[in-house]
Amino acid sequence: MRAHRWFTPYLLVVPALALFTFAVLGPVMATGVFSFYEWDGFGVFTPVGFDNYVRAISDPIFRASFVHVAIYIALTIVLEVGAGLFLAGMVTSRPKGTGFFRVAFFIPVMLPLVVVAVVWGFVYNPDFGLINGALEAIGLGSLTNVWLGDTRTALIAVSIVSGWVFAGFFMAIFYAAINQIPSEISEAARIDGASEIQTFWKVKVPMIRNVIEIAILLAVTGGFQSFDLFFVLTNGGPYGATEIPTTYLVKVVFRNQNVGYGSAMAMVMTATVLAMGAVYMWVRKRADVEGGTA
Amino acid sequence: MQTTSSKRGNRRRFGVLTGILVLVLALVAAACSSSDGDSGSDGDSGSDDGGPVTLRVAMGSPGEAQIAVWEAAKVSFEASNPNVTIEYNFQDDDLYETIGLPNLLNGGDAPDVYFEWAGERLQNRYNEGFVADITDAVNDGELGSYFDAGAYNGMVIDGKNVMVPGNADVTTVMWYNVDIFSELGLSVPTTWDEMITASETIKAADIVPIAIGNKDLWPVGNWASHILSRAIGEETYDKMLKQEIPLDAPEVVAGMGYIVELQETGIVNESANAIDDNEGAELFFQGKAAMHPIGSWLVSWAIESAPDLNFDYFNLPAMEGEGTQDSVIAVATGYVVNAKSDHIDVAVDFLTLFSSPEFTGQMVEAGGTPLATGALDRDDIDSRTLSLMEMMQSAGALVAPPDTGYDIEVADALYAAEAEVLGGVSTPEEALAVAQAKLGG
Repeated sequence: MRAHRWFTPYLLVVPALALFTFAVLGPVMATGVFSFYEWDGFGVFTPVGFDNYVRAISDPIFRASFVHVAIYIALTIVLEVGAGLFLAGMVTSRPKGTGFFRVAFFIPVMLPLVVVAVVWGFVYNPDFGLINGALEAIGLGSLTNVWLGDTRTALIAVSIVSGWVFAGFFMAIFYAAINQIPSEISEAARIDGASEIQTFWKVKVPMIRNVIEIAILLAVTGGFQSFDLFFVLTNGGPYGATEIPTTYLVKVVFRNQNVGYGSAMAMVMTATVLAMGAVYMWVRKRADVEGGTA
Repeated sequence: MQTTSSKRGNRRRFGVLTGILVLVLALVAAACSSSDGDSGSDGDSGSDDGGPVTLRVAMGSPGEAQIAVWEAAKVSFEASNPNVTIEYNFQDDDLYETIGLPNLLNGGDAPDVYFEWAGERLQNRYNEGFVADITDAVNDGELGSYFDAGAYNGMVIDGKNVMVPGNADVTTVMWYNVDIFSELGLSVPTTWDEMITASETIKAADIVPIAIGNKDLWPVGNWASHILSRAIGEETYDKMLKQEIPLDAPEVVAGMGYIVELQETGIVNESANAIDDNEGAELFFQGKAAMHPIGSWLVSWAIESAPDLNFDYFNLPAMEGEGTQDSVIAVATGYVVNAKSDHIDVAVDFLTLFSSPEFTGQMVEAGGTPLATGALDRDDIDSRTLSLMEMMQSAGALVAPPDTGYDIEVADALYAAEAEVLGGVSTPEEALAVAQAKLGG
């Protein structure tokens, strides 16, 4: 049988390459080009060299937005990944009767984030909201607060909503991973006298370490992509306390119509996310090498 | 070690791969350029000389009642111009104001007529070449007969008429709950000090004196900027927003003292910077707040959302300051004919029909405040709307809101500073210095 022509594989990747170019590569390249111009989205392009990058790096709001997103990511690793792992541990501790809880915990993942944000906006509303209303009702009126209007609580409040949504998502991932562990291993641990908690932390969790690492990577990269919750709940406020790169970028590009500067911000953000991915790959590879030589 | 033939093979494969990549990029570029090629309002083909014409009209959604008026105008115009089809694009307000209009004007099927705010935004569209000169139609045609000369304020650039006047909105007055004022024996304040005193009386009655939702910064931004203009004078206000003087100039810092007073007296809802404008209005509609500073659009909104609410308004009371103490903060809007349209004459004819007494009347019924003459003469206009329009026409000075009348980046910086001062997290000096630093010092 005659072997296929050498260029056949290249031709086969053309459709995928075209799609990738159209949907990803093209926009990224266009954004890169825009970042070297002053352009409002309507009129002429004025070349400005690296001015937009210099401005982005020296912009205190843009710099602060990275601090806010870092805090948010740290909180979501606990509230999403940590809580998801805890929930997965709970629902896998018993072989039967957990279906309802699995569905219940996963339902928030299926809701549009804008809807979630609007609902939680009512919960946090300082004048009509559920939390302050409940606190008043049980005689703890002194604890009421303007949750989304207080710089000390706004970012935490948004993170809690994020945790409420995505803990179920990570639970589903961990649930699937834990179910891949051969039951003989857990049974052996129990026969050796390990409690359910010890079996979970000392047997199951180490065996799904790779999945947990991927979950953390997803939480980190997902944190940088966050927008909906922040936009609807606080729009970067109060006083910029919840401004993250995406909300600030949207204001710069769509409200201030400064497409060139916004493009430079987008490129900085993209580079940051790629750098974090590269660091993760490097750490992972190094850990694998050390694990292999140990 | 590679052989010569394998090197040649690699080079050939590299060449083919590069060729494929170039082909893919060319295809993508061709796809993009073909859509560009269709852009502009000539994409539908057709002409004004009897051939089929599609006239595209774009605006932020004016609400169901006013959309019905636009639809009626479409039916009427198409009946008398059988070769013309009118297509509307009603977008979400915020979407239209930000990304919507730029995308429409730069994309395929650009609108022939579009809604815009007079002032800085209109000037920008003019600079970018999206504004047709309609001076002849105003001077010589039927269109001009529907408006007084004053209606074109802010709509003339380089001596050319470039906008058909639409509506005029007072962007901030103080709406008040008439019943609460009556129960507490309060009269409408005529000075700033009277307003503060009345607010303290209301606060003592466990009612929020003034409610506002400022999550998006423009509600307090408009209100506080009007206060600032009264304090520092319209000329200084104009210079500040044009950056001829810095935001943290001593006179501006001093003018912000009135915002500090609002914060220190605690008469504005504590949640102001955490809730949006709808939630702020809700506090007023539900009688939890006695006053609510927002624009003229509250009338139709309140009638629908709180039909039992007994409310009226007063303009910002007089205060000690350099500005005109009966000034009104207001914005005019209108409709621009796209200079790149192939159907400029048809567009002008359509806007002429829409500005006629027939449709002006329907707009008034739909809650609009048209700038066309005759709009005030109707019997069925809401007395508060009528009063607002008369106040605007007799105002000693009209103040443009920063976000529609000036550079939006300057407006945003000022709004953030005003929110911080109202929230008590910064002094005027600190907030305005930070705001000026955002603009490059």
